[in-house]
This record gives sequence, structure tokens and C-alpha cells, in this order.
Amino acid sequence: MLIVVSACRPNHVIAFIRPKPRQPPNLATFVVPLQFNKLDLRDYLFHAYNVEVTSVRSFINQPTPRRKYGNTGKWFRPRSQKMMIAELVKPFVWPEPPAEKDREPFDHATFTKMEKMREDQIKKETDPANIPLRTQIKIPPSRRTLKEQAEEFMESGEWSNGKIGDGKWTEVEKDVPV
Amino acid sequence: MAISAMRPSMGALGRISSAYNSSSSSLPTTTAILRPLTQTATLSTTASLLKRHKYPGARDNKDHSKHRGESAVRRTGTRWRLSMSDEPLPRPVPRDQLPAIETDPDHGLWDFFPNRTTVANTPEEDAKHGRSWSVEELRHKSWDDLHRLWWVCVKERNRIATANWERNKSKLGFGEAEALGRDREVRATMRAIKHTLTERFYTWEDAVKLAENDPEVDLTGNGPAFVPRDYLEEGETAAVEGEQQIAETAQNAEAAPAAALDPVTISSSKPQAEAPRL
Repeated sequence: MLIVVSACRPNHVIAFIRPKPRQPPNLATFVVPLQFNKLDLRDYLFHAYNVEVTSVRSFINQPTPRRKYGNTGKWFRPRSQKMMIAELVKPFVWPEPPAEKDREPFDHATFTKMEKMREDQIKKETDPANIPLRTQIKIPPSRRTLKEQAEEFMESGEWSNGKIGDGKWTEVEKDVPV
Repeated sequence: MAISAMRPSMGALGRISSAYNSSSSSLPTTTAILRPLTQTATLSTTASLLKRHKYPGARDNKDHSKHRGESAVRRTGTRWRLSMSDEPLPRPVPRDQLPAIETDPDHGLWDFFPNRTTVANTPEEDAKHGRSWSVEELRHKSWDDLHRLWWVCVKERNRIATANWERNKSKLGFGEAEALGRDREVRATMRAIKHTLTERFYTWEDAVKLAENDPEVDLTGNGPAFVPRDYLEEGETAAVEGEQQIAETAQNAEAAPAAALDPVTISSSKPQAEAPRL
């Protein structure tokens, strides 16, 4: 593997980040690998993208400790993330984010609905002061109609699963007293 | 003591009169009193100039605290207008009134986006991708082609990472699975490139070992590297010569158009900026 791990063929992934609302257009933010330094970013941008940079600022975001498996597992700290802000020679203005109606191809409506459901569920589960009593839980209408149907069948006794046995299987020990 | 207790303008008056008394003591006192009060000291202490500038709404400073209420934190500015210049200072223009900044259409950072208007591809567009390059296909490629393809892959991965970040942060919607599928194919291509180059390296190593023992090959770097030897005997050479000539002309005729029309070779004359995206 001598030849493949060479300086001319780096394997880094760099993400270009949308600037903050009042950030001037000559600053470009990137998420870079942790081992990157300022000179690396400068050379990378110049040689791969032909972008000239006057200076680079860097910082590391350290995430807060989290638990594995949601709420129950071992505590750990997720890997830090390095960000760099390059001062560009030529300013770059980002395109506007797509409007609500243009997010249709991403199925934005379903996405937001699912996200809200998930958040509500987490809030419900994690709030110890808000555990409803059984009498306070609202019975969904589907469950109520199912119960009514079941009671109706029990009364009439007309229910069957619609399958007729082929007669091969007969109860052998029918007469044996249990 | 009495002078210092007076208002500043009155104190200045006293100082001016004493200055006259000390400098022109030979003159009679009556002329000294009758002379108009003009400025003689370097510092202007005339009563009219001593009047402090007042901005509208300024209060009377009764307590003689000159800097009361001034704060650098609250950006109050000085209480008294400075008398150094009456030039109006430039006022900052509000951000929304500034002219719009034009982005260069050939800016290199556009390569982080799929096009000039969108940052993240829709899932449908992301799913439109083919398979990765196989090792067998890449074995026929030159070093330059492989190198260029590697950089196309690197840029594509950066594009995917940028779109992922944007999709998450701006909450655009779904599309992560499609982006991952695309990324997987790109990574498979990069792995195939590394595989090909490693194979090529091992082949080269073996060739060097063989060449060290080959009398036809000269590895010193002086003179031609390959000098083929004629193994044929003198008598046979003349008989075979005619056949060789015919074979060579046929080979040359075949090789010329094949090199020109070889579909697997990307022409290296194209600059990197115009190279097709993956």
C-alpha cells in the first residue's frame, strides 16, 4: 500500500457550510477532518477548487456527553468536529434556501409530520411530571369501533374466519375424559 | 482662592487682567483698563470662545462632573461636542441599502453544489446514478486518467457531504438514503482505483527484479534502457528478413487508427476544469 496512500490523492471529505445570517460573503465555513490544519485547507482549496484564501480561522466543536441506546446506555462523548472559516479573496454569496413549496420533492410535509410525532413522543416519555392516568388517556376511535364490533360478534355468534377444514384432521381423543 | 471659586469665564477675566498688569507695568493703569479685551495668551481664554459647545437637549452641568454619564459600554459618546472639527462624519449605511454583492460565475466554490441555484439535490436526482467503476475497467486506464478520476470522486463526495449538511440543517426533508447510495458507489470507485494502482505497483516491482538479471535491459540510466539482441544465426536472418518487413508494415497500418479511436482513453489535453463530472 505504499503507492496508494500518497499526498497527491487525499481521502478527506470536506463540507461547505451555509453561512450564518449576518456573516459577510468573504467568509466561507467548512467542516473538515480533525487532522486538518489551516495550511491544509488553504492548499486544498487552492489546488482542488482554485479558490484563493487570505487567512483561515479554525475551531473545534466538542459535543456534550451522550448515552448509548437513547436514554439507557453507557455515557460517552461523541467525536469532536473541526470547523474552519476561510477568508476568501473573491466573495461568494450562497443561493437562497428553497421555499416551502419547492421542498415538495423532498417530501417535506411527511418529514415534518414525522419529526413532530417523534418529538412529542420523546417529550411524553421523558417528562416525569406528565404521566397520565389510565382514565386520562384518550381512547382512539379505531379502538372503540373494534371493541363494538367484537362485542357484536360475541353476542350474535355468527363470526367465522371464512376457512373450511378439509376433513382430514379429526379429533382422535374426542371421547377421552380429561 | 477667590478666582478659583468663580465661574471659569470670570476666572479667565481675572487672569487676563493680571497678565496685563505684569507685562506692561510701565503703562498707566487707566490705559490698561481702557484697552479692549483681546487675546494675547496662546490659549484662547476670551469669554466668547470659552462658551462651551452644547448639543440640543444637553443639561446644565451643575455638579462639575465633566464625564458624568459617559460610557464606552453604552456608546454614549462624549458629553461635549469636540471642537476639533466641524466636518460631518460619515454615517454607516444600513445593510439592506448596500448594493448586492455579485458572485463570480466561475468561482471555484460552485463545485461544492450540483448547480448554481440548488445546494442539495432532490432524492430523485440523487438516485439517478450508475454503478461504480470496476477494477477490470480501470486496469486499462493510464495513471493520469486514474488520478483525474480520483479527484472527480473526491469532489463528488464533498458535494454529497455539503448537501447532507444542508438537508439536515435547513430541514429540507428526506433524501439521506439516496445520498448514501450515491456515496457508496463513489467510494467503491475510489477503492477500485487504489486496487488498480497497487496491482500496478506490484507488477512494476516484479519487472524491476526481472530486469536486474536481464542482459538486454540496462538499469543504470546511461544510454538506451532496452537493447534487443539478435538471437538468430547469420544464415537464418536473411531468410526471415522479408517476412519481418511484411509483418511490420501490417502492424503499423493497424496500430495507427487503433490508437486514435481507442474509446477507453480520455484525452488528457482537456483541462481539469472542463473535465466531466461523475
